[in-house]
Amino acid sequence: MGFREINSKMVEATVAPGQRLFSQRGAMLAYKGEVSFTPNLRGGQGGVMSMIGRRVANEDTPLMTVEGSGTVLFGHGGHHVQVIHLSGDILYVEADRLLAFEGTLEQGTVFLGSQGGVMGMVRGQVSGQGLFTTTLKGHGAVAVMAHGGVIEVPVTPQRPVHVDPQAYVAHHGDVRNKLSTALGWRDMVGRGSGEAFQLELSGSGAVYVQASEEKL
Amino acid sequence: MSTYGTPGAAPRVLDPVTLPSDDNVDAYTFCVELKGSQWFMQKGKMIAYYGSIEFNGIGHGRLDRLVRKAFHSPLHASDWVVAEGSGKMLLADRAFDVNSYDLDDGNLTIRSGNLLAFQPSLSLKQSIVPGFLTLIGTGKFVAASNGPVVFMEPPIRVDPQALVGWADCPSPCHHYDHGYLTGVLGGLRAMTGLGGVSGEEHQFEFVGAGTVLLQSSEALMTEQATGAPPQQPGVPGGGSPGGAGPGAGGPRLPGQLGDLQRRFGL
Repeated sequence: MGFREINSKMVEATVAPGQRLFSQRGAMLAYKGEVSFTPNLRGGQGGVMSMIGRRVANEDTPLMTVEGSGTVLFGHGGHHVQVIHLSGDILYVEADRLLAFEGTLEQGTVFLGSQGGVMGMVRGQVSGQGLFTTTLKGHGAVAVMAHGGVIEVPVTPQRPVHVDPQAYVAHHGDVRNKLSTALGWRDMVGRGSGEAFQLELSGSGAVYVQASEEKL
Repeated sequence: MSTYGTPGAAPRVLDPVTLPSDDNVDAYTFCVELKGSQWFMQKGKMIAYYGSIEFNGIGHGRLDRLVRKAFHSPLHASDWVVAEGSGKMLLADRAFDVNSYDLDDGNLTIRSGNLLAFQPSLSLKQSIVPGFLTLIGTGKFVAASNGPVVFMEPPIRVDPQALVGWADCPSPCHHYDHGYLTGVLGGLRAMTGLGGVSGEEHQFEFVGAGTVLLQSSEALMTEQATGAPPQQPGVPGGGSPGGAGPGAGGPRLPGQLGDLQRRFGL
């Protein structure tokens, strides 16, 4: 199981009976075998309450359930695709960046204000995450979309990583992030460097950065 | 797993001697060498050339014999030119991946917007699938795709937008999948239109022997204004410009609200 990267913009998933996949609607490129695609009203896992939660949090992407037996190719909008393997830790990612993920992963929504209060909310605004973001927890693989290629930057306790908020894609592991500002009088008069806000990630884990400052 | 490239590598400088002959310069550029020969190419895909090359629109009197032999699509005539002369010509298309393909007494059908250029030893015809062109014969042609092209063997079902083309005629047909509209919940879905569409209920299905070419994304190249096939009994898509091919969804079921529900994420 899992995803096999065919090229930088396309992944192949194998579906077997009893194993479900979730994918963004319309992201299927081709398939072999008997595979069915069912639109998922709840936009993911959990009951009606989690659906309402996602709607409120604006983290509901049109998802579909992929079942059956065969192989499916996924890709979307010419975006680059990065496969991330999770082994028990939590991936934080925006819902609209999710191309496909395995049914073994548990989907949730978190309020960014819960990590650092008001600063967390400010951070969400700056990085384009909004007030809420999606989490995936458990064992399995996720295919995440990004504009431009993706690089994985490891975060270790000794070496915090600073990331441009617009280039931030996702992170996993035991990582704390905070918004560091380098605002000076120059920014106030419109002569700033354009890099006044950075995300500082510290702890141990990894952060994924896209080679573009364009959002999806 | 992450590669950062080679920092500090000097840019490669190419000149008429070091440019490849009928080969890729990089993933996005193709170089055609002309030695008094002719190539058909789609308008606006030439980015640079060395030497003396003349570009003449199709319909030019002198090219009549060539066009009669190799170009059998009057609808596309206004989008194509003939390059002739001697020199090297670079072709590219909006940073899409470009590749050349060799046909040896074969046939290949390709989306009209994806074909950049071909040798006159091939002959170009319109496919009976609207929006697609068929190349028959022996020779080389150049095609663009969003992301690298992936070759698959039938039987396979392909999203219409991801289809680049197919070779050796593996019977293209439409496949409609409304399986989730059966049963109690599915009936409710069909009645009310709630629950929405998966976006994957219509595919092109290929069976039989051959090869199917896929591009790795659903971002379509802008459709070329290819005119319309003649309005005549038995001609698919006759009368409607651009053909019915991509984007046109499946048949609308009673009770469905169409695109409205999708817009609201239902």
